[in-house]
Amino acid sequence: MRISLEWLRNYVQVDASVEDLAERLTIAGLEVEMIEVPGDKYRNFVLGTVRDVKKHPQTDRLTICTVDCGDEIRQIICGAPNVAAGQSVIVALPGAVIPHDQHDPSGNSFTLRQTSIRSVESFGMICSAYELGIGEDKDGILVLPGEQKPGTPLGTYLGMDDTILEIGITPNRPDALSHFGIAREVAAIYGKRVHFPKFRLVEGRTSTKSLLSVRILDTVGCPRYSARIVRGIKVAPSPKWLEQRLTVLGIRPVNNIVDVSNYVLMEFGHPLHAFDYGKISDRTIVVRKAAIGEAITTLDHKLRTLDPETLLICDPRRALAIAGVMGGADSEISENTSTVVIESAYFDPGSIRRTSKRTGLSTDASQRFERGADPNATIAALDRAAWLMQAIAGGEVTRSVVDVYRKVIKPRRVSVRVERLNNFLGVSLAESKVCSILNKLSLQPKVLKGHSKKKVIVCNVPTFRPDVTEEIDLIEEVARIYGYNNIPVRMSSRLHLQTAQPQKDLVCQIRDWFIANGYCEVVTNSMQDVSTAALLSEDIVKIANPISKDMAALRTSMIPSMLEVVRHNIYHGSSDLRLFEIGKVYHYRKEAGKIDPLQAYSEQPRIAIAWAGRAEPLRWDQKQRNFDIFDIKGEVESLGRKISLDNINFIPYSNTDPLNQLGIRIEIQGCYAGLIGLIDKKMLTSLGIEEDVYVAELLTDVFLKRKWEEKKYHELPKFPVVERDLAVVVDQGTAFRDVLNEIAQSGGPLLMSVDLFDLFHGEQIDSGKKSLAFRLRFMAVDHTLTQGEIDRSTDAIIQHLATKLNAVIRK
Amino acid sequence: MTPEVERVRSEALAAIEKAGTLEQLDQARIQYLSRKGTIAQLFEGMKTLSPAERPAAGRALNELRAAVQQSFDQKKSSLESTLHPGQSQLDLTLPGRTRFLGSRHPITQTLEEIQQIFMRMGFQIASGPEIEDDYHNFGALNFPPDHPARDMQDTFFITKDILLRTHTSPVQIRVMENSKPPLRVIMPGRVYRNEAISARSYCLFHQVEGLYVDEGVTFTDLKSTLLSFAKQFYGQNIEYRFRASFFPFTEPSAEMDITCFLCSGKGCRVCKQTGWLEILGCGMVHPHVFKAVGYDAEKVSGYAFGMGIERVTMLRHGIDDIRILFENDVRFLKQFS
Repeated sequence: MRISLEWLRNYVQVDASVEDLAERLTIAGLEVEMIEVPGDKYRNFVLGTVRDVKKHPQTDRLTICTVDCGDEIRQIICGAPNVAAGQSVIVALPGAVIPHDQHDPSGNSFTLRQTSIRSVESFGMICSAYELGIGEDKDGILVLPGEQKPGTPLGTYLGMDDTILEIGITPNRPDALSHFGIAREVAAIYGKRVHFPKFRLVEGRTSTKSLLSVRILDTVGCPRYSARIVRGIKVAPSPKWLEQRLTVLGIRPVNNIVDVSNYVLMEFGHPLHAFDYGKISDRTIVVRKAAIGEAITTLDHKLRTLDPETLLICDPRRALAIAGVMGGADSEISENTSTVVIESAYFDPGSIRRTSKRTGLSTDASQRFERGADPNATIAALDRAAWLMQAIAGGEVTRSVVDVYRKVIKPRRVSVRVERLNNFLGVSLAESKVCSILNKLSLQPKVLKGHSKKKVIVCNVPTFRPDVTEEIDLIEEVARIYGYNNIPVRMSSRLHLQTAQPQKDLVCQIRDWFIANGYCEVVTNSMQDVSTAALLSEDIVKIANPISKDMAALRTSMIPSMLEVVRHNIYHGSSDLRLFEIGKVYHYRKEAGKIDPLQAYSEQPRIAIAWAGRAEPLRWDQKQRNFDIFDIKGEVESLGRKISLDNINFIPYSNTDPLNQLGIRIEIQGCYAGLIGLIDKKMLTSLGIEEDVYVAELLTDVFLKRKWEEKKYHELPKFPVVERDLAVVVDQGTAFRDVLNEIAQSGGPLLMSVDLFDLFHGEQIDSGKKSLAFRLRFMAVDHTLTQGEIDRSTDAIIQHLATKLNAVIRK
Repeated sequence: MTPEVERVRSEALAAIEKAGTLEQLDQARIQYLSRKGTIAQLFEGMKTLSPAERPAAGRALNELRAAVQQSFDQKKSSLESTLHPGQSQLDLTLPGRTRFLGSRHPITQTLEEIQQIFMRMGFQIASGPEIEDDYHNFGALNFPPDHPARDMQDTFFITKDILLRTHTSPVQIRVMENSKPPLRVIMPGRVYRNEAISARSYCLFHQVEGLYVDEGVTFTDLKSTLLSFAKQFYGQNIEYRFRASFFPFTEPSAEMDITCFLCSGKGCRVCKQTGWLEILGCGMVHPHVFKAVGYDAEKVSGYAFGMGIERVTMLRHGIDDIRILFENDVRFLKQFS
């Protein structure tokens, strides 16, 4: 809300500086977001009187003027043909920012400096209308009418001395959405009194009731409807002062009638609407809900079909306005309007809000009604508006008001216990102090007389404060005005500072492992388009009101958003990528939500990893090598080892995955734990990626399912390990894992580990065969192995491999 | 014989000194120190001397051989220490073999730091679902239906009643529904807002929510704890203020500002010329919220607070566009290694 400081001063005395005012309002919860001084752009511009004009000694085009600028007589060089002694002119002093440079074809601004023109000093500049940005005339200086006082700041002359405060009003404070409302706060903060301007409304003989009747068919939606009539007005543009008041607040002046209703809205906070009386059939206003399919053309000249929930202001034949939101075009005030009906009503906040949401119309009026207008302010606002209209547009205000208000909404009684207040805030305010604060806020406090020592204060909360309904609200009001910064800082003894538990969070350990191993952590959007979500699952969570089509579902897999990161980076020239993300995927399974609908939605933690480009940084003594699937397997295995998982199974699967070209399933103790693979070439091409991209998606829960255990110490072996190398030739089609399993099975208790150190096929091997070289390590826990023991174990393995796999040992 | 000894000495030492490789050094050794080398020949020549001359000549030759041998040994060890087998002299300015550098996402860095601070103050960590129902996200938090307060948080809906949480505050409700006071928890997580994406706002971000409920918790406790946090996180010398605000689930509600650390409070673009930076929202838990979870508001009181991780991250690193946090450009990420 924009608040004019000058306007505000009509209702409360403000002695403090603007800065102090802004700070105190902000602290009290009315955040001043910006202080704007419209006249600021005319700093260093003053009015001056030309005393004398002489020819420049070196050129005929220029004159040397002597100008009285108030505090100083200045010598100014001027090139305008129309300059003459005695003129009141506008002088820019050095430092002034001239809005338009007359000599610059594009008219840019510039900062004026004291200069010397053809060896004569000039201490300012006499401005043209163009230079000032207030007209198009470039041919001569702007000469002001009459005799002006030299030295007057231009801002003052133009009536731009005002300061505008841009205040963010929280939705609980409808009472603060006006100048009078802010004045009330200022008065409470500074201990001043607010005063509403006095005026005397002169009414005519004819009674309003004889000209207009009002019927409310929906008393829930419209608890009160008040109206007045002004006859014989003349619709015209508003006077300057009124237009200026609205303009500085950013409201476009329309005509004197509409402007007055806007003025009263900004002054007093109660929304009004003016109808052309001549357009109302049967002298009757009906407040009702819309009929099915009913439509109205609103002031913005849009035809709107209305929901039957919408509250309307109608005459017996048709709708005149959407109640509390926007008027209709048909009954709009026009040049020909001679009689005006001023509506001042109170509408149910929920009803207005629903209408505003449905129609997408949010107006100054709807914003106030949906936050809660004051039902008991309708008449005061009406009187003020009628008085102003008559003063500005002439005519006669008819006698009395039409006012339908069946169930009066009374001020609320709310009490606060002083002891409770002090305990809650951690302060010790006297009851008199509490009363004084509440009193300043017009909350009408009274100390309850009783024998109990515990003092209770009862407030009669005016209806302009719909947010104050219970004790805690009064505690907040007191805290707000007392000042949060006056509440002490003191550590409660109950708040023991303790050392946090040792970090046992495996997710943290996993993150640390990634970072230590050269991975960059990414954080991606969890929303994606429906077709991407559908690629990997049918159980999609769809967003009913997405920002855009490409964010209409929650992700079912982490891989697409990871691929987007890969694409972005490759596109921007970073092609060696090791990335990971710790996040979630989301699914919807209708069956799961039979009892509690929320249970149909699941969120599962996942870890996504991506690799692209070189497996190692560029090195001067090694050949470059790109990632391949075995790097990826190795990384996942290493990660597993980091969290004491050494039984990860990798199971190649024939591929049905639209993303995956080379797929491996990961299992941990028989549970599916994720996948690794190479992204399908077609998919990559569609993303414009030429490189191979490997990805993994791990089910965090399965990885972390293992119970946390402290690591147990194992005694170090006392006897030496003996190594034997064994090269086995098998069919090309035999899987490594099968060979390994057979070795493990036949190796006996002494075999400690088996590592593959060479894989070979080619000249020295028969075609269709391959050679696998293993390093076997043997050890006994209780003695040093003998040659014979090792030979026996090795022979057993060789025998077994020959039988099972038709393997031959390569010597 | 002495001039002869001195000539050999200077020749041998020069040859050793000149040797740039072990091969060259070895040639010098063969020439001077081997069994048939020059020095051995000089010993051989002693036989022609008279017995009276021999002792002095022997001493001189022994001294020569020791000196040359010592020079050879020194040179050898110095060559060995600088030579790589099979290569010529080693260029120590060649780059080392580095590995790829990993990096923690700046959002995670901020989040972990905040968590650490609150964990030191005895807060536990809790989490809750991102897909929430209207009741936990709004209703139980004292947002009446059809109240404009809901406009403060533009919502993504999945159904009429189910939505993407707009703040981490529903986790407060879930924690209180599932445990009895006293409790002291922080609740980090991802939240969603249906707002146009711009440099200043993204459709999702992260928050840390805090909650402390016990008997006799006061506004003073709230201020003290948050001040303690702010000093640990932003520095011991910060200036701060609390100003009144509005959140439906706390009352009194406040926002905490600290002096803008970019301009030291003089006013700049980031603090919108106010000199203050808003760092968190907070307040005393509203009695309606206690009622919703079955706590007795006459017996217990508590405070809650919440802060946006992206905002804090952007402030401390001088990031002026929130979108770059979600772009994940590695050139950006590696700046935070």
